[in-house]
Amino acid sequence: MIDFFSRYFANTLSPLQWAALSLVPPAIVALYFLKLKRQPLEVPSTYLWHKSIEDLHVNSIWQRLRQSLLLFLQLLLIALVMLTLLKPSWQSSRLAGGRYIFLIDNSASMGATDIEPTRLEAAKKRALSLIDEMKSGDAAMVISFADSAQVEQSYTDNRNELRRHVEAIKLTDRTTSLADALRVAAGLANPGRSQFSGPDVQVADAVPAKLYIFSDGKFPDVKDFSLGNLDPIYEPIGTETAANVAIAAFNTAQHEVNTDLLQAFGRVENFGLEPVSVDVELLVDDQLIDAQRVTVEPGNSEGLAFPLEGVQSGVLKLKAGIDDALAVDNLAWTTINPPQPMKVLLVTPGNRPLALALATEKVRALAQVVEHSPDYLKQPDYQKQAASGNFDLIIYDRCRPDQMPQADTMLIDRLPAGDAWKVGEAVSAPQIIDTDRAHPLMQIVEMGDVIVAEAKPLFPPPGSTVLIDTNAGPICAIAPREGYEDLVFGLALFDSERLDTNWCLRPSFPVFVLNLLEYLGGTRAALMSGSVLPGQTVTWRSDTAGETIEVVLPSKATAEVGRGKLNAFHFSGTSEVGIYEVREKGKTTGHFAVNLFDPLESNIHPRPELKIGDTKVGGTAQREPARYDAWKLILLAALAVLLFEWYIYNRRVYV
Amino acid sequence: MATASLPLLSPELLAQLERLELVSRKVFRGRMKGERRSSRKGQSVEFADFRSYVHGDDLRFIDWNTYARLDRLFLKLYLEEEDLHFYALIDASTSMTFGEPSKLAYAKQLAAALGFVGLVRSDRVKIETLGQPASSPGPVWRGRRSLWRMLNHLDQVEPGEQITLAQGVKNFCLRNSGKGILVLISDLLDKNGFQDALRYLVAQQMDTYVIHVLSQEELEPDVKGDLRLIDCEDQDVAEITVSAPLLKRYKQTLAAFVDSARDFCNRRGMNYLLANTQIPVDQLIASYLRKRGLVR
Repeated sequence: MIDFFSRYFANTLSPLQWAALSLVPPAIVALYFLKLKRQPLEVPSTYLWHKSIEDLHVNSIWQRLRQSLLLFLQLLLIALVMLTLLKPSWQSSRLAGGRYIFLIDNSASMGATDIEPTRLEAAKKRALSLIDEMKSGDAAMVISFADSAQVEQSYTDNRNELRRHVEAIKLTDRTTSLADALRVAAGLANPGRSQFSGPDVQVADAVPAKLYIFSDGKFPDVKDFSLGNLDPIYEPIGTETAANVAIAAFNTAQHEVNTDLLQAFGRVENFGLEPVSVDVELLVDDQLIDAQRVTVEPGNSEGLAFPLEGVQSGVLKLKAGIDDALAVDNLAWTTINPPQPMKVLLVTPGNRPLALALATEKVRALAQVVEHSPDYLKQPDYQKQAASGNFDLIIYDRCRPDQMPQADTMLIDRLPAGDAWKVGEAVSAPQIIDTDRAHPLMQIVEMGDVIVAEAKPLFPPPGSTVLIDTNAGPICAIAPREGYEDLVFGLALFDSERLDTNWCLRPSFPVFVLNLLEYLGGTRAALMSGSVLPGQTVTWRSDTAGETIEVVLPSKATAEVGRGKLNAFHFSGTSEVGIYEVREKGKTTGHFAVNLFDPLESNIHPRPELKIGDTKVGGTAQREPARYDAWKLILLAALAVLLFEWYIYNRRVYV
Repeated sequence: MATASLPLLSPELLAQLERLELVSRKVFRGRMKGERRSSRKGQSVEFADFRSYVHGDDLRFIDWNTYARLDRLFLKLYLEEEDLHFYALIDASTSMTFGEPSKLAYAKQLAAALGFVGLVRSDRVKIETLGQPASSPGPVWRGRRSLWRMLNHLDQVEPGEQITLAQGVKNFCLRNSGKGILVLISDLLDKNGFQDALRYLVAQQMDTYVIHVLSQEELEPDVKGDLRLIDCEDQDVAEITVSAPLLKRYKQTLAAFVDSARDFCNRRGMNYLLANTQIPVDQLIASYLRKRGLVR
């Protein structure tokens, strides 16, 4: 029964409206019975009256049928009206199986309140009205997208299910990217596409689909995407005049001159059409410590600098005191975490140039270097520390561990444990013919003036990268190992007995060492800069040996994160902006901030058209739902007129 | 409708009625000596004719003067004076209770007035209702002194008789075979029609007057709205929605009904009179009935 109903009818009214409508037929019948409930009047005889009525009846069939016929006609009319409101339809070969895909943007900018209550609600409302208009047999799919896409509801013709999933879409603080959503949407419309070369096998018929994009268009143009059978319809959500002020940047840095002094820098940008004056407050651990007033011209930004005297650590919050359309970008956070330099273990029988290169000021700021002789490798202390991943980088100079440690390694004149690496016979005076300048390790490392006396060519395992190549074969290569990387040199950089190369004397050597520390210890350095965008993954390194850390979200929810590759903890649940607190064994060990520093999201004026691949998609006006409502109103008005007419007919005395 | 409380005849009306007498176009044979000349020859002071004496004639009527002159015996004949039979037949059905004054009260008053005229002239007056059974003839009054008995009898007439017009008239005819004047006072609103009833009267060879009493609400109905008309006699229901065409149609039907009754009566030598209860009885008698020749 329900199946029959949903197949041939589409409900267009809410239960409340149906309730109101269902009162109409009883009202008509009631009016009819009101008519029947005549006032009784006793008369001497109905003889003459009967004759009179009969005379009238004889005059025309219409007269005789008039009373009941009108009722029947009206009941028929109301039945027809109800049928119309049910939008009766049935499948025909031509119209069958329309496909719709609703892409609903739930990124941060959709939280703008220039449309009451929010843009996301407006987008959902439009999607719902389209779902209501769907014909029987049409199928639709609901995808919400921010920086990634999520299929809320795969293809179905169950409108209730679609409606429920559209209503369940929640706003996020994330940035926007359409490409992911389009790829998901294209799955059914353009089947049989494979990445493999050769003839495609058509696995399914391509089903063309209408692709409705409800968004403010605040995402980069999508390149390298062919719409194929997708017919995109872009419905821009938002107003052109919405005012918004955003904190576009917020971080801390050392004072240029006085390096002991920290400074907080903020930037306030005005995306509205009018100049605004903003009071910007700086709070450290929720205590107001400074405030400044800036006036920002439309389209411009103003920088702010706050000296942080006596502040060594804590959570900094910058607050723009303005009531604008988008609230999420009026707050920004940053942290001053206690410095945590990377840990480097140098195992060497003695290597003065390397020790010197690791003693530069810049390296000291980055890393804490511990030096041990090769005997140390036999000690249980080493075994324990290497296995627990306490070191970020271990340099084995002319010595070789029995087992590879849980750390990045650099091996000089030795091969890593295991038999993945091979080495050839020593070659005299190989000529350096190439270096991989694109690799971060070799950036601005000039090897032209380096001479090599003797080296062993390396045969690195598959997947490795040759950094230095000679006419005899590679002498320096880097290969991944279970999330770590091993850098191997086929020559001794320094030996007190003989000199194999003059590289240690060249300026490029300390540069290489700095590259090494920045590259292999890079994750920790990145975190020190303070802020990530919502949705990005945060990598947290910990000195403790615990297997899990706990992250307290801005909403005070907690998430447990297990130890991942590279001995770090990867946390990807950064969908909210704010301060995240990291706890290890119940103790707070640090904070990181998630901020919406995205000018695309903050510039909330909707884009009039999109560019998907080579296709331009213009925004459609909002006329469709408006027209849709109008005929319902007219129909209801006609109904009211009809009732009025019926009333007049009953109440008239002398015509 | 409470007819008993109304005085049927006021003194003024009585005074007016005393000067009137009932007129019959036909001279009927009465049973008793009355104040009317009869076609019969008999004993009175008015001379009618002579005829030859035959054996056995009463010697007292021999005209001895003629015998002396002509030497033949002639008998002197005188016109007989006889009484007149006056019948009033009242329809006392429920439908007669309508109107202001009610049709029944009007009918009683009319019957009383005409009966009084008859009594004054020593006519034989008999007032009956349609519902009276055929086997029990009602009382007969004669002479002025019977007035109060007649009025008492009329007072006792109650509405609500369940009998058709035709049956009532038939019963009347069975009870009263004599000739005379018959005044039928009825609204003629019988679903079976009045024709059969009147045909009985035609056969009776009476001098028949049909006084068709209709109330104002029947002649000019003042109704509006959606009505459920209930027949007071058989509870028959007619649902009407009053509209101008319907009222027009009703009046046409009423006019046709009255015309058909008048026509029916005229064709059969009966007098028909439409009486609206709004017209006072004295006026009706003094002008309308006088013109029709019922009274003089």
